[in-house]
Amino acid sequence: MKRTVLFSGDMSAPGSIADDRLEPDPVIETYKIHVDRSLIREQLARSIDERIHNMIAALRFAERLREAGERRPSS
Amino acid sequence: MTDFEGLIRSLHGAGVRFILVGGFAGTVYGSSRVTLDLDVVYARDGDNLARLSQALAPLAPYLRGAPRGLPFELDVHTLARGLNFTLTTSMGDLDLLGEVTGGGRFEQLLAHTHRLHVAGTDIDVVTLPQLIRLKRAAGRPRDLEAIAELELLLEAGSGTAS
Repeated sequence: MKRTVLFSGDMSAPGSIADDRLEPDPVIETYKIHVDRSLIREQLARSIDERIHNMIAALRFAERLREAGERRPSS
Repeated sequence: MTDFEGLIRSLHGAGVRFILVGGFAGTVYGSSRVTLDLDVVYARDGDNLARLSQALAPLAPYLRGAPRGLPFELDVHTLARGLNFTLTTSMGDLDLLGEVTGGGRFEQLLAHTHRLHVAGTDIDVVTLPQLIRLKRAAGRPRDLEAIAELELLLEAGSGTAS
């Protein structure tokens, strides 16, 4: 079956197709129900650099929230 | 906050042989989860330990969570005597793994990597199926949601070869 590469950039061996096979885990399968699949589709449409920059932006935002919380005067 | 790209460029620029694993590898494959540190599996040969030591020396590496003032120096001897190091550096948190549960050492894990362009450099990144196996093998309850997301990314085609 033809597979599609959904990340940008060069990819070369030594990774192998046999590497793809994973036995289903019933616990993980249950967790999958709660994953936002629209977010998965959005992420796959992005390049590696965009994914990294988005994650770093989220990290910066969380950091700013944490700092704001620390500055908040105690009541 | 960890400068992921800066750390990768520092290691790569010094010629360190390493494999990207952990949460940041998940980011590369499309995980939307935030991660706080950079995890790499490094080769344990003497030349690589010397390159690793030289690459990190300007970044003042120190044992994460250890009291300040301990006589710690991440030189070749320290690296040779230890295996896995959780470090804080001037560029943020870095986990140096000589061996990883479910994946073994650098040479064993290298068979389960792709060469990807990350942070302006070509580096070895653990394959998505192997990343999932590593997280499964770690057996941490907090990873269950992350594994579910990674498996859905795999099913949607991320990280698979054509």
